[in-house]
Amino acid sequence: MENEISRISRRALLKLLGAAGAGAAVGVATAGAIRELPDNPSAPAQVPQSTRRLPSFTGPGANPYWNSVGPIGSYPQKQPLIVLTDRPVQLETPREFFLSPFTPNSAFYVRWHLGEIPNEVDLRQWKLRVEGAVENPLALTMADLLERYKHVSLAAANQCSGNSRSRFQPRVAGGQWGNGAMGNAIWTGVRVRDLLDAARPKSGAVQVQFQGLERGKGPEGLGSHAFLKSLDWTNPVLDECLVAFAMNGEPLPMLNGFPARLVAPGYFATYWVKSLEAIRVLDRPDENFWMKTAYRVPDTPRGTTTPADVQTGKVKMIPIARMPVRSFLISPDGASKIPAHMPVVLRGIAFSGFGRVVQVEVSTDGEKTWHDARLGEDSGVYSFRTWEAPWTPPRPGRYRLAVRATDEKGNAQPDDGVWNPGGYLWNKIEQQEIVVGASA
Amino acid sequence: MKQRGILVVSAIVTLAAAGAAILYAQSQNGYYSQTNLGDMSQPAAPPALDTGAVFGAGAYPLYRAQLEPGDGKQEVEAYCNTCHSTRYITMQPPLPAATWEAEVNKMIKTFGQPIPDDAAAKIIKYLQTHYTPETRKR
Repeated sequence: MENEISRISRRALLKLLGAAGAGAAVGVATAGAIRELPDNPSAPAQVPQSTRRLPSFTGPGANPYWNSVGPIGSYPQKQPLIVLTDRPVQLETPREFFLSPFTPNSAFYVRWHLGEIPNEVDLRQWKLRVEGAVENPLALTMADLLERYKHVSLAAANQCSGNSRSRFQPRVAGGQWGNGAMGNAIWTGVRVRDLLDAARPKSGAVQVQFQGLERGKGPEGLGSHAFLKSLDWTNPVLDECLVAFAMNGEPLPMLNGFPARLVAPGYFATYWVKSLEAIRVLDRPDENFWMKTAYRVPDTPRGTTTPADVQTGKVKMIPIARMPVRSFLISPDGASKIPAHMPVVLRGIAFSGFGRVVQVEVSTDGEKTWHDARLGEDSGVYSFRTWEAPWTPPRPGRYRLAVRATDEKGNAQPDDGVWNPGGYLWNKIEQQEIVVGASA
Repeated sequence: MKQRGILVVSAIVTLAAAGAAILYAQSQNGYYSQTNLGDMSQPAAPPALDTGAVFGAGAYPLYRAQLEPGDGKQEVEAYCNTCHSTRYITMQPPLPAATWEAEVNKMIKTFGQPIPDDAAAKIIKYLQTHYTPETRKR
């Protein structure tokens, strides 16, 4: 069933108004769950930039907005989110939801790879298999997970590998995320290690593969048929991984991987396979598309390269892994002016896949000087950490605010962006222009 | 009686016209703009959930992307829609002609979508005609 978009030009709407009255026009305009707004080039010039409607795309320059520019859509179990694509479903979380350290489940971003994703799961049928090179294969029901294994809860940020891809210059193909392909939650589940131990892996294991219910129309054996991800047997993250059945104390939304998903703390979300159905011990490396071809980054410092170097075919690519340190200014967002001399609070979040965030600094003078922000509660190594910094703008003008975080390994955010063909690993210092108006 | 009916109808028409005029004037002044309102997904009443083991969320809404009209659009809608919606095209930034060719070839060679050569050529031409930095309009 497809919803036809109502795309009504301003002139057509006025015609409708004249013909049938405002009621009928509003009725037409609100049909359908998702819509693109009509072009309105004649918007009055005095309307502030922030309240004018967004363009339908950005580029070839970098996306100048904090979020991506898709239309807003309503999805089951979700608040209105920014729609990148509808099939498969990709939804971005608007900026304001990051004021809190934990992202509401209903606002948590969504990213699937293939067209056939579950919107209903029968727990009498669903089993999580632990199989492959094991002595004792398992097929666990939800009741088994809930009753037979120890529960563990941890806070961890989940970020799409391509978060902020729309910042890349030159632009690269793929989901054109702004900064909202991330979220933080308290995940509750059972340890992957406990499940592996119960299945008694044979000697010679090299990787553990994760598969979910997601399928595509493509031929078997290709990336368009199934989504599979693997972690090396010797990777220490395996000891931290959970099979999570709860998120912020609630069942997972269907779109976030009900009934259970992998949680790989500190790692990009590509490994956090949703709607898990199999954990497979491999005795040879996983060569499926999603490991061998996709989600790979240059084996260079920060994973950056150039289009010219990629052309030579000599850039060594490796699977993406941990998330580099990032921080964001969430409020104020630049949509409104601030009166000079009014004390305001700059607020945001920071996180790193390499360790605890230990410092967040803000600059209100275009990165000439930096001041420490006050860090919020420490909810765990891989969690979002909130920060805030008071600011009283001294005089009217345009201020370039910036925020940078440092993690406990000494990694700090850089001044320059990265470039790689997948559009991954963006962690440049974020900037925000704020306009301060006269207070008298 | 009849006359009263006509009076009521003409009063309604006048009111509607006046309302439309006010709306028009206010949008001209910049108080309002002609945009659509979104809906929020929420249960109207306690939903009829049973206590069984089936957990569902309902259907996910589909969205028909506004592709530029032109030669090759039919082929795009016929072949590209197999695995993903054509919103994948309109969501992209303007991409160079060579990138579009590589994307279509990736769908055929890497992802196994069987597109006949002549249709593939039309699809590439269509994307290059409407979705490059030089050609993209909306």
